[in-house]
Amino acid sequence: MAEFSAEVFQNEFLSDGATDVHAVVSVTCTGAGAAGIGAGGAGAGGASGVAEIVAVDTSGSMQGRNMEAAKHAAAVAVDQIPDGTLFAIIGGSHVATRIFPYPNARVPMVTMEPGARNEAKRAISTMAAGGGTAISTWLRLADDLFATAPVAQKHLILLTDGKNESEPTMHLDRMIADVTGHFQCDARGVGDRWVVEELRKISTALLGTVDLIARPEDIAEDFSALVRKSMARGVAAVDLRVWAPQGSQVLFVKQVAPEVDDLTGRRTEVNPLTSGYPTGAWADETRDYHVAVRVPAKPVGSEQLAARVQIAVDGGVAASGLVKAKWSDDSTLTARISPEVAHYTGQAELASAIQEGLAAKAAGDEATATVKLGRAVQLAAETGNDDATSRLRKIVEVENEEEGTVRLKRNTAKLDEMALDTASTKTTRVRRA
Amino acid sequence: MSADDSTLVRCPSCGENAAPRARFCENCGTPLGAPDADPGTPAEVTLELAPIVVDPDPATGDSSARRSCAACGGTIAPDGYCADCGTPGQSERDHFEERPAGWVAGVCDRGVRHARNEDAMALAAGSTFAALVVCDGVSSAPDSDVASLAASRAARDVLVAYGPQGSSSVEGATSRRIAGWTDAMVAASRAAGQAVRGAAEQLAATKGTDVADDPPSCTFVAAVVDDGLIVAGWLGDSRVYWLPDAGSPEQLSVDDSWAQEMIAAGAPRAQAETSPQAHAITRWLGPDAPDTDARCAATVPSGPGWLLVCSDGLWNYCSDAHDMGDLVRRFATSGDPHTTAAALVRWANAQGGRDNITAALARVSPTVTEQR
Repeated sequence: MAEFSAEVFQNEFLSDGATDVHAVVSVTCTGAGAAGIGAGGAGAGGASGVAEIVAVDTSGSMQGRNMEAAKHAAAVAVDQIPDGTLFAIIGGSHVATRIFPYPNARVPMVTMEPGARNEAKRAISTMAAGGGTAISTWLRLADDLFATAPVAQKHLILLTDGKNESEPTMHLDRMIADVTGHFQCDARGVGDRWVVEELRKISTALLGTVDLIARPEDIAEDFSALVRKSMARGVAAVDLRVWAPQGSQVLFVKQVAPEVDDLTGRRTEVNPLTSGYPTGAWADETRDYHVAVRVPAKPVGSEQLAARVQIAVDGGVAASGLVKAKWSDDSTLTARISPEVAHYTGQAELASAIQEGLAAKAAGDEATATVKLGRAVQLAAETGNDDATSRLRKIVEVENEEEGTVRLKRNTAKLDEMALDTASTKTTRVRRA
Repeated sequence: MSADDSTLVRCPSCGENAAPRARFCENCGTPLGAPDADPGTPAEVTLELAPIVVDPDPATGDSSARRSCAACGGTIAPDGYCADCGTPGQSERDHFEERPAGWVAGVCDRGVRHARNEDAMALAAGSTFAALVVCDGVSSAPDSDVASLAASRAARDVLVAYGPQGSSSVEGATSRRIAGWTDAMVAASRAAGQAVRGAAEQLAATKGTDVADDPPSCTFVAAVVDDGLIVAGWLGDSRVYWLPDAGSPEQLSVDDSWAQEMIAAGAPRAQAETSPQAHAITRWLGPDAPDTDARCAATVPSGPGWLLVCSDGLWNYCSDAHDMGDLVRRFATSGDPHTTAAALVRWANAQGGRDNITAALARVSPTVTEQR
């Protein structure tokens, strides 16, 4: 049985007249079990089972190494999907095709077993590149197939190598909105001709990750890891809930580790004082959330509960953390900033500095790019994010790390910029004494 | 009681200091005092305090029963905070109310700034007799909340024993009764002192510490209403006010405090009471107290009025007897001591609630005094 715990990091002391309460709430799940089993053991086909779809780009640009690598990767993924899991394979171009079950099959998805596995691999081997790219059609077909699966946990792996060029952006945006909440999606781009922002839009809305696969031969390993990760998520649908007192305002709710993800806009109302934010399925893992609430100031000496941060599974509260406010005129208490809050505030700013800097660079605004990426270098150093530092150093010449002064490098590799962009939301955990 | 208190009123909205009787903040216009501080319509003061009369466990000063939120009336969640407004739930010791008779009631409250309620109150009343005891624990000493509760209850029980149904009833003409009640008051304060010592020894034994290290202590103030006679007794700076409907309000008790000594020596009251040492008390109850005999004063009211027994958590914001008379009248339009006491506590909290607050009231009226 999965267990959740919540730990709150904050400085609860506010100076006289202060209203904004910040806290980092670290949520840990243990005993999640395996997907489809952990939640109740009904297995595939039951309400608590798992459905897995792999959607592979089959547009004309995939021709050659990419197509062969993608086919190999899809076959590897099929090997990793355990028996009993409902699955399907989609080939995507400007239209989406169900590769397996075969288009003429009467079932939309099949339960994995050795025979199905062999047949699926045979189907995958017949995939051929051709046509354009309209990702909304892939999402539509995946959604239609998932809709027939009576399972709690639905996961899509989406692979592309190019831009979503065969349809207006609006189509994709509308489709993302339509399928949000229906399934989770990890999106992967291979090579350097896809657009990070496009895939990030999909993976963020669908509670998954976006990543760059630089070399086609690495796709198989990544798919295999994604399937394993998906299968380790034994708790199907988890909501983060934030209660804030009457008369207060939730300023933002952000996941800050392992990746920065602003949840604020995904709010649903649980009751007038409680907001719910979907967080998808959980494995044994820890995720950190930064919550900021504005409460009316109270007289010095008063105490106030500023937020209850709860983890809800199947509508029940599985863990709860209390965020408090205590007004004090002792500046030694109120001046302290929680190291966790400071760390993640820096990491969130780092992510946006990188993204804004790269966007400015792409637009030819070198002045803004230099300032933003300089700030990113500074923040990466301050928050000890060494991975970000080394990625940044491929794009900029660092003059002074502490002051954040940099020069843009000439002739940087596109892949290095994309690697920096996709990884920008990855955070390091605060070093706890 | 603590040295950092002052009579300055602070605006709860912007923090600006205001004159003690200001009704609105000069800086931001926030109404000061009761939310409906229009002097013309004091009846609009609404109270959301629980009407129940609760009695904390004398041994622990605690009760496991949950009460609704003192701030908004909401439910206190299992995590200890209000489910609606997030205000911390109060323990029974943090806020309790007593109403032994329709004409006698009191409210004892933690206030805003203190972590514990070290004030205590014990009341008793019949048709023509009432005993009101308030003890204010010295916050610099640990466990003063336990000591003050034990003291107030011990003193009340002694006073009840001298009352009309008691074993050593005070009787006779007014002058005889004044003498009798003066003796009773001293007996009560001595019993209260014993109770503090007893509590201190018990606590020291439980913790394995020496009773002489930082012993708990408290003030003592009591008032008795006995058929048209009022007798007050005190040690320390908790007070008794007699506030007649007609005529001049007076403070019956005389503080045993540094401020009072300065006033006696000729310093202006406001200056003495706002000085840093104003609240240093010169007499108290506790294992280290030099003597525990209450000083006494008596009065025979000529007409109806309010008898107020309170701690400095209230009078800090309204020290002068005339001001206190105005304040009580402002909240007393219902004539009910319970709602009036609750309103006084609420008012003191709105002024900043810098200390624990206790207000106990008896409505003394000719109809009561003529009944016997």
